[in-house]
Amino acid sequence: MRIASDIGGTFTDLVALDESTGAISTAKVSTTPSNFAQGVVDSIDKAAQDAAETAFFVHGSTIVINALTERKGVRTGLITTRGFRDVLEIGRANRPDIYNMAYVKPTPFVPRYLRREVSERLNYKGEVLTPLDLDDVAREVRFLLGEGVEAIAVCFLHSYANPAHEIACGEIVVELAPQIPVTLSHQITQEWREYERTNTAVLNSYVHPIARHYLDHLETSLVGMGMPRESLHVMQSNGGSATFDAAKDAPIHLVESGPVAGVIGAVRIGELIGERNVIALDIGGTTAKTSLVENGMPKITTEYKIEHRRDFAGYPILTPTIDIVEIGAGGGSIAWVDDAGALRVGPVSAGAEPGPACYGKGGERPTVTDANVLAGRINPEYFLGGEIALDVAQSAAAMASIGEAFSIGVEEAAMGVLRIADANMMNALKLVSVRRGYDPRDFTLVVFGGGGALHGAALMRELRVKKTIIPLLPGVFSAWGMLMTDLRRDYIRTLVTRIDRVTPERLDGLLSEMSAQAEREMMAEGIAPDAVVLQRHADMRYLGQEHTVKVQLPGGVIDAAALDEISARFHALHEQTYTFRLDTPVELVNYHVTAFGRVPTPDIQRVDATGNRLETARKGTRRVNFDELGFHEAIIYERDRLPVGEALRGPAVIEEPSSTTVVFPDQTLTRDEYGFLHIEMVT
Amino acid sequence: MTNAPLTRSSTDPFTLDIIAEMLRASAEEMFVVYGRTAQSPIIYEVLDMACGLVSPDGDLIAEAEGVPGFIGCLSFAVREILDKFPAQTMRPGDIYATNDPYKGGGTHLSDVVLVLPIVYEGALVGFAVNKAHWTEVGGMAPGSWTTDSTEIYQEGLQLPAVKLFDAGEPIQGILDVIEVNVRLPQMTMGDLYAGIASLRAGERGIVSICNKYGAAALHETMSTLLARGEQIALARLAALPAGEYTSEMWIDDDGLSDDPLKVCVRITIDADSFTADFTGSAGQAPGPINTTWTGLLVAVREIFKEALDSDFPNNDGFFRPLHVICPDGTLFTAQRPAPVSTYWETGAYISDLIWQALFPIASDKLPVGHHLSICGTIISGVDEEGERGQFVLVEPQAGGWGAMTTRDGMSGMVPSGDGETYIMAVEVCETRYPLLVDQFAFNTEHPAGSGQYRGGFGLIRDYRVLSETADLTATFGRFKFPPWGAGGGADGSSNAVEIIPAGTDAPALRKGKLARYRLRHGDVARLITAVGGGYGHALDRDPALVQRDVRNELLTPMQAHIFYGVAIDPDTLAVDAEETARLRLMMRETSS
Repeated sequence: MRIASDIGGTFTDLVALDESTGAISTAKVSTTPSNFAQGVVDSIDKAAQDAAETAFFVHGSTIVINALTERKGVRTGLITTRGFRDVLEIGRANRPDIYNMAYVKPTPFVPRYLRREVSERLNYKGEVLTPLDLDDVAREVRFLLGEGVEAIAVCFLHSYANPAHEIACGEIVVELAPQIPVTLSHQITQEWREYERTNTAVLNSYVHPIARHYLDHLETSLVGMGMPRESLHVMQSNGGSATFDAAKDAPIHLVESGPVAGVIGAVRIGELIGERNVIALDIGGTTAKTSLVENGMPKITTEYKIEHRRDFAGYPILTPTIDIVEIGAGGGSIAWVDDAGALRVGPVSAGAEPGPACYGKGGERPTVTDANVLAGRINPEYFLGGEIALDVAQSAAAMASIGEAFSIGVEEAAMGVLRIADANMMNALKLVSVRRGYDPRDFTLVVFGGGGALHGAALMRELRVKKTIIPLLPGVFSAWGMLMTDLRRDYIRTLVTRIDRVTPERLDGLLSEMSAQAEREMMAEGIAPDAVVLQRHADMRYLGQEHTVKVQLPGGVIDAAALDEISARFHALHEQTYTFRLDTPVELVNYHVTAFGRVPTPDIQRVDATGNRLETARKGTRRVNFDELGFHEAIIYERDRLPVGEALRGPAVIEEPSSTTVVFPDQTLTRDEYGFLHIEMVT
Repeated sequence: MTNAPLTRSSTDPFTLDIIAEMLRASAEEMFVVYGRTAQSPIIYEVLDMACGLVSPDGDLIAEAEGVPGFIGCLSFAVREILDKFPAQTMRPGDIYATNDPYKGGGTHLSDVVLVLPIVYEGALVGFAVNKAHWTEVGGMAPGSWTTDSTEIYQEGLQLPAVKLFDAGEPIQGILDVIEVNVRLPQMTMGDLYAGIASLRAGERGIVSICNKYGAAALHETMSTLLARGEQIALARLAALPAGEYTSEMWIDDDGLSDDPLKVCVRITIDADSFTADFTGSAGQAPGPINTTWTGLLVAVREIFKEALDSDFPNNDGFFRPLHVICPDGTLFTAQRPAPVSTYWETGAYISDLIWQALFPIASDKLPVGHHLSICGTIISGVDEEGERGQFVLVEPQAGGWGAMTTRDGMSGMVPSGDGETYIMAVEVCETRYPLLVDQFAFNTEHPAGSGQYRGGFGLIRDYRVLSETADLTATFGRFKFPPWGAGGGADGSSNAVEIIPAGTDAPALRKGKLARYRLRHGDVARLITAVGGGYGHALDRDPALVQRDVRNELLTPMQAHIFYGVAIDPDTLAVDAEETARLRLMMRETSS
């Protein structure tokens, strides 16, 4: 049995998979903010799973991101190199909201008096210029203890090149304060840039006791239910899972624990249907998130920031994170008219309370969901399987304000709202694809979340992807995706060298050392040696450039021929991404080894559609607005009753309790053997 | 080629908004491509550049800029190109360049504008344009700008609106001329190709809009956006009290002599116009602090937008109500061949003049005076031991911002002329250049910037030279005249460069400007930026805020006592309320 549990703001989703039969069961219970573990336990109870049978439990948690954004972490102290304690507050000194003279910088998570300096200094090669002053360290640790800190972070200049001083400092902290968790920056990341690395270490410290307490508590509950301790895993920002023990040491890796799981799910869907290139699109209530997967590999970035907005610098976290573009456009996004008379959608959302106007819970402003209702795309009597009856009149009343502003009718206004929302999502989709040099025609779009299936068909018409897939259970797809994860650890090291000046032996030595560490740590997590898979990349650029592209390194020993191959791959990738290549020397900046601990990927059960026919799946017809293709009487089908492998032609709407799929008149839809829906353009 | 025919389309308002968004996204993509591929740190770290799309008539439609100092500068260059190359001669794949400060597009020679006309179905539908500060364009000094040039010919290679590519084919002769006239040809040519990649991204964006919606819809969107820009500006203008607002200031000197220069502005606001008149400002100077018309207009546009509406996406329509008056031959309107290589310093004063004049009516959007100067720094030399070879570090500094009427100023932030500008990481800097940073810390001079709300703190960055020698050029404005306070708040402190010779602790020199000052191994160049101005009287500052500053070791208990009249126990940091009241009463009496 594999079990995934995903905690969201409103619901805790559980998806369980019986590996012997391939059968999937789900449960949705209310999230219990006062005691999140209770929701997890409840959901297992509700799905009536036998906890003792669990071979692999994986958990997506918002505990870390919540502690950060709600500033509910612990009082944290920082020990750093003399002369540099203000680095954390100076940041990079940028003003992203460039015309706003009243801009307010991010406030550091550690105030100045808890940022302590000690004598020590390394140069960029990691050579010691000033030895670490142990008395300084002892004095500052005592000061911090006197101030009541509950966690300590240590970050010294150039520790990515030589961690010795951080390690020595850490030993003193442990000696003087064994109860205080200490984070050494190089343990989290060995990338350069002191502000970013310091901030990463500080945020890890800030959430450390909170995350540990949470995971300890959850572990006790789950083991108490009979779940084997070694089966317990948690989802990380890099799209892989880690054991509870590993997560407790470096909880900062859990920041994007939930959102990345959908991307992993999309990768697995791609494998099942034979598509290695996919674009995942998750449309929720408040935001839409998209990410591109090339050749079965999600894109990973270490330029991640929390609370980053166009007008706010945010806080960098240098841990590997699946590169997701998120925009404020979801079902609850509110439509409004700006000062200049332009129609806008989002980023403000009506959320779950009061929700869209059609919920009849007091929402008076028009949302994307209201527009979908007015366009005939959502069936007001079958929302959440009929649990909530939607009030079309409320949608129309709310949408009238938009109509008045443009002197048009409600239907036309609703279509305008959908067009703007789709255009916003399209910009995000293009950002991850076309604008990074990818041709969408090589990709399959996988849409999920509450609104994915409603918008997927419209978006694919402009994006021109091969096809669009609506998975099973689009509403709990993130939890489904978690079931498909492997254990994953990333190792990144900065070592800046020109490729024509590095010896193959040096490169091979470094990569071997990193690989050996990766294998060692994977085995420590209980992964058999033959189940460990390593991938190696390098961040490369032309000499003089700042930014890099990530080049996959050839397997095997790095020799002179391999160096030539690496150069060739870099030139080609740079040209693909940016349209040009140069004769300039090429520079290697970071080395990135990824270790996967392969756990057997579960089989997905085939659907039994014996006897299903299109005619019997048909529930009726409805007048639906298909934008520039006009109004059509669309045929309405019940998803579960569709036959397998038989294409139906739009205009059509496929309904299921948690989602609605729209099929345009120039598209066909087919249900496959797994129950996934495929939409394709009629050629 | 002819301009796209002006036909009335049936474009609905939503489609217009979608096209407007696509235009903006295209401009942003141009910006990202330039930044990610350029070779000059001043482009990819400082983001000293702007990218945008301009109408066939030369009106700016959509722009992405990394620094406010480049606002709305792109349309001037397009008009300059159009004057010289008629639209009907333009072909797909043509690319033009200009950096002429005395014509439409240029500011100083380092800022190179690239222009690509976009032709769709045989008609000119717009231009992709970018402008960026290339680190090296030749001239008398490494890094091209300097504080001691006396004529434009010393400041680099001039590109007076020339064609670089003809229908997609490079004009090799002109590229060769560029390559041989610069010190770091690999970097300069790398910037050029990065700039071209950026233009092509803009072209792709426009073509995809035309493919989907047609050239007529694009054209209609452009005129609608310009009209909207004007409406918004007029609406914002109407919210400001009509009247005249004036300000005057002193600029330190021109870099050659030591004499301060007086500059002034008179703003007239009425219902439908905003006029800035600089008549009476100093005449053009022998040193390179002059700016020309483009620099003047850009500086005025910058503060106009900041004071009126920082959010509205830039286009030329927004600036239609703005009028600028200034006689030729002043510091702000210098004539060929006056040197202009540090024009941005003077541009910052232009913005600050208007800023100070408007402060009484716009204090919700504007803080009091800040360090203002970009504090441009160049350190160049040869790394004898390492693989770095010849090096040129060019960077701005961050400093202290002024208080607002409701809060303290920001500490360590890039000045108004910079924006999404990143100061260089110490670890990156030490890897790339033979320098060791001894400290990077707040400059907590007191009582500079004291007030009910105090100014933000400046920064101190110590560069210790590791190579045998290195040359330092610096232009730190506001060295003689610190940032202004208001409402009883103190002025801030000064920006300055100090030189601490190897083996000593004390500065041997403290200056605002230096040109290729020779540093030797072990010497320290200490770069100090100003504390911002304060607002309100220091004796009205909440003692809890004073206590917080003391706790954070930004202020000593003694300074709290002397400057703020707050009695704080040095051991417990407790505020003695009674003693504080007594102190403050006494200090108020003394001062009145």
